[in-house]
Amino acid sequence: MNQTLTKRKKLKLESDSGWGYAFIAVALIAFCLFTAYPVINAFIISLQEYGPLGSTFVGLENFANSFSDELFWKALKNTLVYTLLTVPFNIFLSFLIAILIIPFKKRTQTIFKALYYLPAVASGVALAVVWLWIFDPLKTGIFNQLVGFFGVSNQNWLGSSATAMFSLVLMSWLSSHGTAIIIYLAALLGIDNSYYEAAEIDGATFLQKLWFIVVPFLKPTTLFLLVTGVIGSFQVFQNAYLMTGGGPDHATTMVGLLIFNNAFTYFEFGEAAAQSLVLAAIIGFISFLQFKFIGKDVEY
Amino acid sequence: MGLYNNGLRSKGYLFVRNGLIITFLILFAAATIFPIYFMIISSFGDPVEAGAMSYSIFPSKISFESYKFFFKFSPHSLDWLLNSFIVAACITVSNVFFATLAGYAFAKMKFKGKNILFAILLGSMMIPGQVTQVPLYILIVNVFDLQNTYTALIMPSLVTVYNIFLVKQFMSSIPVEIIEAAKIEGCSQPKIFWHIIMPLSKTVMAVLAILTFMAAWNDFFWPFLVTNTMDMQTIQVGLKNFRFANTTYFAPMMAGATISAVPMFILFFSLQKYFLEGVTVGAVKG
Amino acid sequence: MKKRLRVLTLFLSVIMMLSLLSACGGNGNNSTASTDSGNSGSSNGGSEPKKDTITALLPPVTGNFQARFTEMEKEFNEMYPNLTLKIEPASWEDMTQKLDTQVNAGSPPDIAWIGSTGLSKYAALNVLLDLNPYLSDEVKADYDAVPLQSFQLGDAQYGLPAYMEIHSIGGNKQFLEEAGLDYKSVQQNGWTYDKFREAIAKGVVKNDKGETTRYGFVFATSGVTSKDYLGIMAKSAGLPEYFDKDLKYTYTSKNFLGLLTSLRQLIDDGSMPKELSSIDAGKRWNMFLTGQTMITGKGLSSFENSARLNNEKIKANDGSAVANSIEADYIVLPVPTFNGADYVPTSVVDGYIALRGKKDPSEEHKQNIALAMTYLSSGQVAANYSSEIFTTPVTASARALEPAESFERNADNVAASDIMKSKAIPARTDIPTDLAAEAIKIETEVIIPKLQALLANEITPQQMYDAVKAAATKSFGADGVVVD
Repeated sequence: MNQTLTKRKKLKLESDSGWGYAFIAVALIAFCLFTAYPVINAFIISLQEYGPLGSTFVGLENFANSFSDELFWKALKNTLVYTLLTVPFNIFLSFLIAILIIPFKKRTQTIFKALYYLPAVASGVALAVVWLWIFDPLKTGIFNQLVGFFGVSNQNWLGSSATAMFSLVLMSWLSSHGTAIIIYLAALLGIDNSYYEAAEIDGATFLQKLWFIVVPFLKPTTLFLLVTGVIGSFQVFQNAYLMTGGGPDHATTMVGLLIFNNAFTYFEFGEAAAQSLVLAAIIGFISFLQFKFIGKDVEY
Repeated sequence: MGLYNNGLRSKGYLFVRNGLIITFLILFAAATIFPIYFMIISSFGDPVEAGAMSYSIFPSKISFESYKFFFKFSPHSLDWLLNSFIVAACITVSNVFFATLAGYAFAKMKFKGKNILFAILLGSMMIPGQVTQVPLYILIVNVFDLQNTYTALIMPSLVTVYNIFLVKQFMSSIPVEIIEAAKIEGCSQPKIFWHIIMPLSKTVMAVLAILTFMAAWNDFFWPFLVTNTMDMQTIQVGLKNFRFANTTYFAPMMAGATISAVPMFILFFSLQKYFLEGVTVGAVKG
Repeated sequence: MKKRLRVLTLFLSVIMMLSLLSACGGNGNNSTASTDSGNSGSSNGGSEPKKDTITALLPPVTGNFQARFTEMEKEFNEMYPNLTLKIEPASWEDMTQKLDTQVNAGSPPDIAWIGSTGLSKYAALNVLLDLNPYLSDEVKADYDAVPLQSFQLGDAQYGLPAYMEIHSIGGNKQFLEEAGLDYKSVQQNGWTYDKFREAIAKGVVKNDKGETTRYGFVFATSGVTSKDYLGIMAKSAGLPEYFDKDLKYTYTSKNFLGLLTSLRQLIDDGSMPKELSSIDAGKRWNMFLTGQTMITGKGLSSFENSARLNNEKIKANDGSAVANSIEADYIVLPVPTFNGADYVPTSVVDGYIALRGKKDPSEEHKQNIALAMTYLSSGQVAANYSSEIFTTPVTASARALEPAESFERNADNVAASDIMKSKAIPARTDIPTDLAAEAIKIETEVIIPKLQALLANEITPQQMYDAVKAAATKSFGADGVVVD
């Protein structure tokens, strides 16, 4: 009996193939056209001195230029620091908030979900204006009034290299976590009550349940948020561009900003493409590590 | 019941605990919600230039002049909202269906090259958009000759890798046994998907819908690139029309941003019941 | 059976995908994908000599300018019945990115709006059209020489100017008088750095606790705007251009060190806030309106009107004026001169360029582009937008016409602006594009970041000077830079 079952199982599993391809067909076609094709083009461009009316092949020169550029390394370092300071903390914060929202009645839950989702709809323009105002360097600035309360004299938040990076990090901590919270909440609600009930019978405390049920169950979600968070953070350039322009003295210059400058300020598309690919390789390596260490699917 | 040990504690303990949690949640929410608050109060100002902004926490005057100005400024204000809606709705529907399908295939089906294909998909996400933008523009505008059409606005976002990845991660916690059992009973994969997986995935589909709609609705640069008349612009592109050489009409821009936030809220409230309930495997099993 | 079903589903999903692609209409002209070469979708001139369409990518210079796009298209068509002008609107800040994407894709519009400083960037890609053969001497004579030259490189005329504006500084009339400054004399005769330094020191007001409540001078320098601050001041510090007449890089001269020392001095004096490096454009205008500074920069002529509007709101007392603002009259002032150099105003010329894609446009099409560009940059069109941005038109034909809407202007300010304009020097047309590109790179990667650090008091003027000199020497060689 048992033997026949495994045999049949095996048979069925093998026969997934046709349907598997059918299920991903549309996604794959769309991907090939609108993602793979531009990416392959980016590869080609990275080996060229690009011009709209004709490009010349330069081999690996663009890569060599990037690697010998001190600024590129500094920007990479800044990006790494920014990512390390923002991504893990933001994920932890979203996790915490999702956990804290869960015990309430549906109505209260809805209100909090809405409150945390709300900031995600704010346009970037409005955000930048408000944050510049919050970091106003004069005594009258909101943040300076706050630290003034503790007897600290007013700081030149975005203007001095000691605080500029910190200010950007703080901005990231306090900006919208709506997306991550919603994703975590959805995952939390997928945990079947029977797991908690079983644990409760064994006399598990809140923290034990959190550690032995919630954390492992949310692993795939956390992995998703980590990987996409790192990707997003490595490509970030808008905040640095709008708030500090990369300054002072390149304290907040990110790789994304360099790529943007190469592509649109200097018209060096080849170099921009080369730097993008180097960046992608680094993100890819980090993602690989993430998959290796926390990516093992948790099965129940 | 549940994660919290509610039953075992005294009423007073629960009251204090919930009070502390609520205080923390409200304080943090207040910090993140501040920009929205600023956006809304600024929209009640007079339609004046940005240089003359007040920077005050409380509005000194409530007027709806900026809302009137927004709709009168361009004969296409309503078109922008409608275009955004059409584009975001199409993108959302196609993503919810095709990304769920593909996500399921990558998470639970076994076929040759699955892992490599998925790695390629994921890898493509890691290349910044600034470089892929020009080839994509060449493809849509020069090769397909689709500029200024809805097709051009919708096509590149039909199914995004982000969404496939999201669904795959969610599906990975669905027990394999359910699928196996269904197969043994002779269910074909489309049937399994339709009758078992889809009902189990309502939550992630609702999340997908909200996030995709929001991303499509807020997208600025691609619609800006491929539209070339005012009547085909989306709301995010239209809002930028309020910035001129030396001046910006700040309050009407904020009024427009407020108006453009409303549909996302409606969508949020209409879908949120799906992830309030939380469809669990147990519910299906039982 | 099952297998056939599977194939059918695969087929169906492909059909679904395809129908989704085409469901939303559009002129799906599915010319088969040739991987890298697209055809220029914008210019269809050539085959038919008579009928032609000219496309133009234009930003909303003013709200009214944008509102008149349809009217302009119609009027142009009435003037030249065989020609159609198609104006593509684009937002002010993002226009460059859209244009750059189109240029790099090989399908730019025929006409695009740019600041004249961007000319060399497009020239380097060989995408500009020389309009000289298509512009008669008569047409060219309509334009003032200085702005016209801003769109020349070598002998080629790559575009036409729309307007010329002087970027300067401006003060609060009442505060200037309180500080004992004869502003009318400054407007007419200019001032030296020493006189300026003294004046803004007198403009500082402190409260009982010794805290500054009003600064003498505040300039927006946050982020990339610090480039404006240095650029505007450098013009009158003996450094009017990055390159001298022998094409040697000038920011390595002693004048540059002198300028940096002076800029640092103004902050150390307490006349400018020590937090200057993160004050943005909105903040400093707010400071001007609320009486927290005597002089502000950069100043544009439209600020006069902005201040006047706020004054009216204060009088109306309906809560719509800027919070805590005071009545302020905006007075246009020239930038001081440093290092004993001559006064050179910062003249900003924006205008139209003619572009080509992968396909070389026909002679007729180029001729038509020239016609459309002339229409957009002179006559009534130019008269209208010039009035709306408070500048005097740069063409005689526009000056002769009455604008659709005119605004009240302070006579002293108009006179001061005209004096500044008369001193504007023509743009250099002899700087090779590769030198220009290298200079932009040094500006973005060395000058701006170091200037931000200098303003934040993190490096000394000498350190900044050394850093710029090192970068310039590396780029241009020891012979390519000015040594004095």
